[in-house]
Amino acid sequence: MKFSYNWIQELVPSLKASPTDTMRQITLRTAEAEGLEPVGQHFGKVVSAKVVEVEPIEGSHNRKVVVKSAQYGTRTVVCGAPNVRVGMVAVYCPPGVEIEGKKLTKAVVSGVESDGMLASGKELGINRDHEGIVEVGGGIGCTPDFIIEIDNKSLTHRPDLWGHYGMAREVAAIYGLELKDPVKVRPFPEELACIDVAIKDFTLCPRYSALIFENVRVQPSPLWFQYRLESLGLNPINNIVDVTNYVMAELAQPMHAFDADKVQGGIRVRNAHESESIAALNGDAYQLDGSTLVITDDSGPIAIAGVIGGSETAIGPATTRILLESANFQAASVRRTSTRLKLRTDASMRFEKSQDPANTVRALARAAALLQQVCPGIRVKGGLTDVHTELRHPAPIVLPLDWLSRKLGNDITPAQATKILARLQFGVSELGENELEVRVPSWRATKDISGKEDLVEEIGRMIGYDNFTPVAPLVAAAPPPANPSRAFQHQLRTLCSQQGYTEVYNYSFVNAEQAARFGLSPESHVRVLNPIASDQGLLRRSLLPGIHRNLVENAKHSASFRLFEIGYEIHPVKGQPPLEIPQLVAAVYSRQDGEGNLNELKRLLACLNPALTIQPTQALDFEHPGRVAEVLLGQTSIGRLFELHPSLVKGRAAIVDLNLDLLKLEAKQYRPVRKFPSSDFDLSVVAGPRVLVASVAALLTDPLVERTEYLMLHPLGDGRNSISYRLTLAAPDHTLSAEEIAMARERIITRLREAGLELR
Amino acid sequence: MSLADLTQASLSRVASAATAEELEAIRVEVLGRKGTLANLSKDFGKLSPEERAAFGKDLNAAKQSLESAFDARKAGFDSAALTARLDAEWLDLTIPPAGQRPGSLHPLTQIQREIEQLFTSLGFAVLDGPEVESEYNNFDALNIPAEHPARDMQDTFWLDGGFCLRTHTSPVQVRGMKLLKPPFRMIAPGRVFRNEEVDASHEHTFYQLEGMMVDRNVSVANLIYFMKTLLSGIFGREVTVRLRPGYFPFVEPGFELDIQCLLCDGAGCPVCKQSGWVELLPCGLVHPNVLRLGGIDPEEWNGFAFGLGMTRLVMMRYGIEDIRQLQGGDLRFLKQF
Repeated sequence: MKFSYNWIQELVPSLKASPTDTMRQITLRTAEAEGLEPVGQHFGKVVSAKVVEVEPIEGSHNRKVVVKSAQYGTRTVVCGAPNVRVGMVAVYCPPGVEIEGKKLTKAVVSGVESDGMLASGKELGINRDHEGIVEVGGGIGCTPDFIIEIDNKSLTHRPDLWGHYGMAREVAAIYGLELKDPVKVRPFPEELACIDVAIKDFTLCPRYSALIFENVRVQPSPLWFQYRLESLGLNPINNIVDVTNYVMAELAQPMHAFDADKVQGGIRVRNAHESESIAALNGDAYQLDGSTLVITDDSGPIAIAGVIGGSETAIGPATTRILLESANFQAASVRRTSTRLKLRTDASMRFEKSQDPANTVRALARAAALLQQVCPGIRVKGGLTDVHTELRHPAPIVLPLDWLSRKLGNDITPAQATKILARLQFGVSELGENELEVRVPSWRATKDISGKEDLVEEIGRMIGYDNFTPVAPLVAAAPPPANPSRAFQHQLRTLCSQQGYTEVYNYSFVNAEQAARFGLSPESHVRVLNPIASDQGLLRRSLLPGIHRNLVENAKHSASFRLFEIGYEIHPVKGQPPLEIPQLVAAVYSRQDGEGNLNELKRLLACLNPALTIQPTQALDFEHPGRVAEVLLGQTSIGRLFELHPSLVKGRAAIVDLNLDLLKLEAKQYRPVRKFPSSDFDLSVVAGPRVLVASVAALLTDPLVERTEYLMLHPLGDGRNSISYRLTLAAPDHTLSAEEIAMARERIITRLREAGLELR
Repeated sequence: MSLADLTQASLSRVASAATAEELEAIRVEVLGRKGTLANLSKDFGKLSPEERAAFGKDLNAAKQSLESAFDARKAGFDSAALTARLDAEWLDLTIPPAGQRPGSLHPLTQIQREIEQLFTSLGFAVLDGPEVESEYNNFDALNIPAEHPARDMQDTFWLDGGFCLRTHTSPVQVRGMKLLKPPFRMIAPGRVFRNEEVDASHEHTFYQLEGMMVDRNVSVANLIYFMKTLLSGIFGREVTVRLRPGYFPFVEPGFELDIQCLLCDGAGCPVCKQSGWVELLPCGLVHPNVLRLGGIDPEEWNGFAFGLGMTRLVMMRYGIEDIRQLQGGDLRFLKQF
């Protein structure tokens, strides 16, 4: 939202603070100012000048123009505007003046030296007209100004600050200055209202006020009036529309002007019928539905309430009578409609902040006064139409001052609180010794202020938070409750990074193609209804697509690397919130061939928990069919270890994907150190092709076997392998005798033979 | 050969021995049990007592002089051998070691942990919340009903079934109030999502840390104190903070907290857009409606809440110029942390 410093100064006439200081104070006490932009700095240097000669230049559409002004005397300029003519008063810009960011210099144009230029409305920042040069009636009437830009988000709760008068009230309160009300509400003619208005539902439209004017002449507004609107980014259209925008920019009350002769019969405010539609002022047609509040006449909708007017009843050059609407609409309804139609207008942006119903008649009074200025001869026809529900006055708020001091943490005196609230035009009276009764002004009562908590902010911000002494809170000392799963994840991260893995963070979004690559259908994902791009429409239910991208990208500039991610898989659950499963994925990549990557991951698994075991399993499509296993903790499968299918990556990449809800760190359990010595012997077992080292080891058990260690695998050349193990035997209570060891060895060999295996 | 001659001859052989092995052979030949010296004492019994005493003395003297000569010569060989070995064992210690170098933790993980530890030391519980939230927890329970214009402040990713990707970590406030009984202090770090176009300074996925303290008589002055202490802890130096009004429906009053620019100390620089201040975190006293919806009586308890932008903090700390690098997965970037 843009605010003109000059406009604020008109409303706070004794304001002496600079635009910069004013902006800073607004930021510190009211709302966030985003910047200060100087506009119209050329005014004062450019002057109105009479055109005394216009001569064609041969071979050019430009003409040589001589102008005369009191300040610069007679000057000759080259002008290409089609509307330049002898006798008109134009705006002359001498060399040295900055126009649209560029400094004017004397220059030869079409062979003629141009000593400055005649400017268009666009070049002067008065309007958007660049068809010809500006024609001045009297003086130019514009002065240099500064535009203070306020962040709209910080005005979300302040309907009153969507107009200059509201901001001027804040500025007056901040500096302790007087505020001038631009509205003089004189009684309207005590005549019969000229237009009949009926409201179907007062919840959706609490108030509808209107006036009819006749003897209207539609023409451009005076330059200063256009300039003011243009500086705020409001496009000047014609005197009638400009007045509605001016009042909106001043009082925050959106208004609409209908061509009264095109309105058939009376006004009805009601919900649209399903089949209705409207051609709007912006040139688009909108299909309406039962949730859309519309303004209708006998022929149907003529405006979408609080959003936009219809084109059929629009003001045009031929308009001679206008119906000026100043109404109040329910914020939620306007917002719903504007969201549904994807149509945000200056009006809807204000109404959705909950505008003050008390403001409608004030706005009409202000508009009537302005119309007298910009549309000479205009007359009010008939009396005021003002249909409304009972206007609510909120109950006063009781403000206990000791409570207030406790909330702020610094002592506040009754005088201080009273003064601040009164400056913001709250009604304040003392209830008791230490209590105020605060009456909330109507423009703050629609949504913004409803309880004493809201008054804490009013007083705090006006004192200025810089003026508060920080105070240490008095709280009980207590150790916080633990969060074991988070601590576990932190431990795993440390462990992985110590083992050489670099942590990556991937996005939660995947596309159908990525999901399909890892065997997942789009239907098995949670779908984003409004994705940022069509290829980010699914929530990841596997971390693998992200890791795969990391592998492919990093393989472009690295021959070998390791990485890991801890993140959440998101699984849809019918009728329930999705399930979020924490996963750890670690990957080892190398451009060279070999099986080392998988072994590295097995080492990582051993670090995570030595009790984890590996069980070869059936490969999925993205896995190397001969290099895949399930990772087990006890009997539970907690994830998969595999080499990525060679079709998915150049080089080799091994991946382990673990469910962290199922992975547990090894529980530490102490056993006394054995007192009696142990004995070792080695066994070499001859096994057929693809007999697993682990399944042979599983046979090498005996009550006396303390540990079985795999030593090596030696291919025998006939497809069979010799697998060697070292067995360590011991007893807790005595040294084993040679006989005991021999018997244990015999038992083990028997078990091997029963399983069809032979010793080498 | 006489004792004197033998001694003399042996000493000169010791002196001229070329290797430790040769020396050892000489020692065995001369001093061994069946050596030449032992041979000489074979006739010991035939001597008179006087001759025996004199010969014994000479024999001992000869043995001692030979032994010390052998020892000295042996020590010489040993030390030469050691010197030679040490010299041969010279290593180029500048050769890089083989084996895996440690990896690294993501910078966000690192800063998150640091801040978690800081808060834990101040008695805050660390809570988790899901990335997918109900509309109720993300908005309604935080005093942002449907049709509230404040919903525009956070462009939301909507999902099937009325769920959304959380737009802030604030819904964990709602969970925290149900989980913990007042008085309590909690933080909730996590991933949040906004439906925004991505560029060097905007991301649709970023990290926040929510904080909330609920107790009796928590004041604005407490909040200012706490934020100042906390930020000094995070930045490891004294920071100047400034509070100004900010609107967030779940707090009342609400603030934007700015810190004096750490790069220019408030003098004005490109980082602070010449203002001397950097907007850092929104905070405020918890809105009574939020407490009520969380089952806490606002007449008895109140508190403050704040949201710290972790992604922002990481970028400030390391001077990272492009936010997209944080989730780009490029190891050349990540390995630097």
